Parts: sequence; structure tokens; C-alpha cells
Amino acid sequence: MDISLLAFVHILVAAAVCWLNFIAIDLLFRLPASGGVVGATAIGKHIEAKGGALPGGIMMGNIVSSPDASAGTLLASCGVFIAGIPGGLLTALLVFIGNRICNDPGYAGTTGAISATFIVSAFTLIGFSPAEFIAGMVIAILTIQGISHRHSSRLLAYLWRARGG
Amino acid sequence: MQEDWTAVNDIVVTVFGALVLAGALLTVVERDPYRKLISLGIMIGGAIPFIVDRGLLDVAIAVALIAPLSTLFILMVCRKGEQ
Amino acid sequence: MNPQDTALAACAVIAVYAAIRVALEPDTLRKLPFLNVLSFAVAGSIALILPHPLSLVAAAAYFVGTTLESNAIASTYAGGLDRRE
Repeated sequence: MDISLLAFVHILVAAAVCWLNFIAIDLLFRLPASGGVVGATAIGKHIEAKGGALPGGIMMGNIVSSPDASAGTLLASCGVFIAGIPGGLLTALLVFIGNRICNDPGYAGTTGAISATFIVSAFTLIGFSPAEFIAGMVIAILTIQGISHRHSSRLLAYLWRARGG
Repeated sequence: MQEDWTAVNDIVVTVFGALVLAGALLTVVERDPYRKLISLGIMIGGAIPFIVDRGLLDVAIAVALIAPLSTLFILMVCRKGEQ
Repeated sequence: MNPQDTALAACAVIAVYAAIRVALEPDTLRKLPFLNVLSFAVAGSIALILPHPLSLVAAAAYFVGTTLESNAIASTYAGGLDRRE
């Protein structure tokens, strides 16, 4: 009972860390500024039509239509879980190739994968398991894309304005 | 060890089997071709963990790369039909 | 339950939740973020089911493939061909 409660707390902490990592890197690489492809802008406009905010909607559209820092964080957690730090760096390469397939420059995804590799490796030193980071990243993307598009796009637009546009 | 393995297997079979069934049913029910393609994506997402669970990783890689390509060709056909 | 089983159970529950949301969403383009959540959960499950170096490649291939699929569906539905703005 105690052990399962500890695993639960670990997954929540991992979700918070992954959330901060991918949101910070996506905002740093200006994902909410413009849609990379036509479909990303269209998704942003549909989310805005339902009461969301346009910059947040465009960022969600970009997350859908190209592997960005969130995908990098998830795959780097998988890589560290399977093969340690070399696995994480291998996923950075795979994410870069995937970005090129999806017609995207690919710097956000690669940077996210490399930073997540070192963050997850650092957390394994204090008792976390990389598997908890995989579940944490799935929970983190659920809070952005899967609960309420209206509120999450408004939150992303607020963070985008706080960054300075 | 043995019980752990069966526990994992149970979760995989139950959840992803439900995904395959739900994706197939949705594909039948939907009318719009784009919505049909999205439902097919659910079905493929439920099918690949079964292949991985049996250890056929090369087959899983091939399926994961071929399924989106087939979707691309179906989309080309959709566009031709609309114009 | 060891951490791997706990994480796999969490991913599986989220996959089912995302599939239900995809089924219930009326707007076609707004289905795609939920499909993205589903593909995150499935890609995580692939690595958690069988920890082997090739399953890393399988998870990456599945994720890139489904992203490309969403990209193509969204761009074609929005009227333009798959090109940059």
C-alpha cells in the first residue's frame, strides 16, 4: 500500500517535471507564433471557434502535426528506460529524422529530447524510475490536449503573452 | 515473475482489444471519409501493441510505417473524388 | 506492482479515455488532439510492454507515422495540399 502510494506520487512529480520541460521548450522555440503547416492553423481556428484562444490553439495544432518537444520528452523517457543515456541521445536523432519527414526544422523536438534525457537521468539518481516519466509525460500531454481545449488553449495563450509574444 | 507477465498481458489484451473493436465499429458507423480515417487510426493504434507483445518488433516497425502511407494514398483518392 | 506495471496501467487507461473522447467529439478537426493523446499513450505502451532497443525504434516509428497521418488529414481537410504556409 505504501509502495503504490509512493509510485503514485512519483508519477505526479514526473508529470509536473515533463510538463514544465516541454512547455518551456515549445514556448522558447515560438511554436504559438504561427502554424508550421496549413493543418496546424486550421486546428487553431477550430479551437478558437469553440471559445479558446488562437495562439494556444495554434500551438496545439503544431503539437498535433509535427513531433515537437513533447514527443521528444516522451521518446527520450522511453530511451532512458530502455538503454540509459545513449538510448536518450539515439531518440534525439530519431526525433530529428521524424521532424524532417514532417517538413519541420526540428530544433524544438531535438532540444526537448536532449534536455529530457539529462533530466530523466538525473531523476533516476534520486530513486525515480524512467517508466514513471513515460506515464508522467502521457499525463502531461493529457492535461494539454485531452481535458478541455478551451481552458488549455487559454492557459497556453496566457503563458505565451507572459513570455512576451 | 510469471504472475507479473500474465498481469501485463491481461492489461494489454483487455485495453488494446477494446481499442481495436472501438476503432472498427467507429469506422463502420461514421459517414465522412476523414472521420473514417481517424477511426482507422484508433484501430491501428490498438493493433500494434499486440504485435509488440508477441515480440515481433520488426513487423511492428513495418506496420507503423506502412499504415500512415496507406492513409496518405487514400487521402489523395479523396481529393480526386471531391474535385 | 513494480513501476513498469503501474506506468503501463496508467498509459492504458489514458488510451481508452482518449479513444472515448475521439468517438464523442463532433468536430472533425478537433478530434485530432485527442488522437494525438492516444498515440502518445500507445507509443509509451510499446516501450513499456517490451524493453528492447528495437522497441525504441518501433515507438519512434509509430509516433512519427501517426503524426504524419494527422498532419496529412488536417492539411487536406483544411483545403490546402500538404505544404508550408
